Amino acid sequence: MDENIISFKATVNGLILIMRDEDDFETIYEHIAQKLESSGRFFKGASMTVKYRGKKLTPEQEQKIAVLISKKAKMEIKGIEEDVSVPEPESDPESSQKTVNKPKMKLLFFKGLEEGLTKFHKGTVRSGRLISFDGNVVIIGDVNPGGEVIATGNVVVMGSLRGMVHAGADGNKEAIVAALSLQPTQLRIADVITRPPDTKEDRQGFIPELAFVKDDLVYIDRFLPQHM
Amino acid sequence: MGEVIVITSGKGGVGKTTTTANIGTGLALAGQKVVLVDTDIGLRNLDVVMGLENRIVYDLVDVVEGFCRVKQALIKDKRYEGLYLLPAAQTRDKTSVNPQQMMKLCQELKEEYDYILVDCPAGIEQGFKNAIAGADRAIVITTPEVSAVRDADRIVGLLEANELRNPKLLINRMRIDMVKRGDMMSIDDIIDILAIGLIGVVPDDERIVVSTNRGEPVINDEKSGAGQAYRNIVRRIKGEEVPFMSFDNDQGFMIKLKKLLGLKAD
Repeated sequence: MDENIISFKATVNGLILIMRDEDDFETIYEHIAQKLESSGRFFKGASMTVKYRGKKLTPEQEQKIAVLISKKAKMEIKGIEEDVSVPEPESDPESSQKTVNKPKMKLLFFKGLEEGLTKFHKGTVRSGRLISFDGNVVIIGDVNPGGEVIATGNVVVMGSLRGMVHAGADGNKEAIVAALSLQPTQLRIADVITRPPDTKEDRQGFIPELAFVKDDLVYIDRFLPQHM
Repeated sequence: MGEVIVITSGKGGVGKTTTTANIGTGLALAGQKVVLVDTDIGLRNLDVVMGLENRIVYDLVDVVEGFCRVKQALIKDKRYEGLYLLPAAQTRDKTSVNPQQMMKLCQELKEEYDYILVDCPAGIEQGFKNAIAGADRAIVITTPEVSAVRDADRIVGLLEANELRNPKLLINRMRIDMVKRGDMMSIDDIIDILAIGLIGVVPDDERIVVSTNRGEPVINDEKSGAGQAYRNIVRRIKGEEVPFMSFDNDQGFMIKLKKLLGLKAD
């Protein structure tokens, strides 16, 4: 399967399907089916219009695609039409192996949470430093207040996390943040932002904890309960 | 060959100038040849704190622009043998000097003097970059306040990025009574974040205000706690091992520290 035959772009107004003129309809149809197979559950329950560009479609072809998307992604298609707006310049969503600075929420976010590209940073992240990576990040040291770690994958801090951390920065809510001492000034996973409770508890020593998102809320769990 | 030590902090008003004046005086009293360099161009204070402002003829900018020789600009402190001051300019600003000029100046001074103490201005921009340009070592000053420690952390990061490794920490204006009440960060709290070696803790002392106003460094004052702390710091700079002052009656510092941890109430 060629990754470049079709791509989807999610906007506030709906879904944009980008095709290439040189590909024939059958190939495009197959690729849409396959793509939705892997990431279709993202739209489950949604209701939106679909616009397309890159190739002219006949009304029957439009309908076939609309039905396919609605079935595979389990969403309601309010309409399907050609996109005539001027597309803004955008980076190829598939080429995400380079470092991004502050990634925006994407439809096709980093998925290597269990096995994926990881950056290892040795040393403490001091105030004013930003460690940003398109992948998972492991800090072997502390993250001081004023320091920031932004990763499209998981963030693991082998020390005290006291700064700002953003895991799943381009949209993956399954990303986790783990630390030997989890005391961030602010913690973000995908588009969920949270901060520590206002009452400061007395913490002596390391209490290894990890933060994860469930139903759009951040939960904290100890991951070595036997070592208290 | 001398040594260039930059005294920096990030945060303003934590005691860089006072520390530079006192350590410089202390080193001179111990027989060393010392030059104090004020790089806070436009907001110079080291001359005032040393009581030498009436004797300024030439300044750092004059030297760097080639208007005069270094020796012409150095003010010899008549009270302390071997102590000289190179004042900053007051009517110019920090863009009048660049890091290369500072490096050249420090190299020149190193050939004749034992210690060159560079008083760094607050901030992280041009003034800071100038001050660290010729430095061999750094002392980072902080007070036991959250905002000062944040800034000090930033500074340590910048120093490490500029190859000035192993800066030493000086905690100024410590008030052990407030630490005991849980109202102030303890030495441990600060070192936990900054994670650099401690060169000294200077207690908060009223006599500092009097001394800086009069232009008489407090290190001379036998009765001052801050003076005693500075005397110890001077010895540590020279390589001596000096136990840290106990702020309690007869207990050693480590016992005191353990007590503080137990009593910590925040």
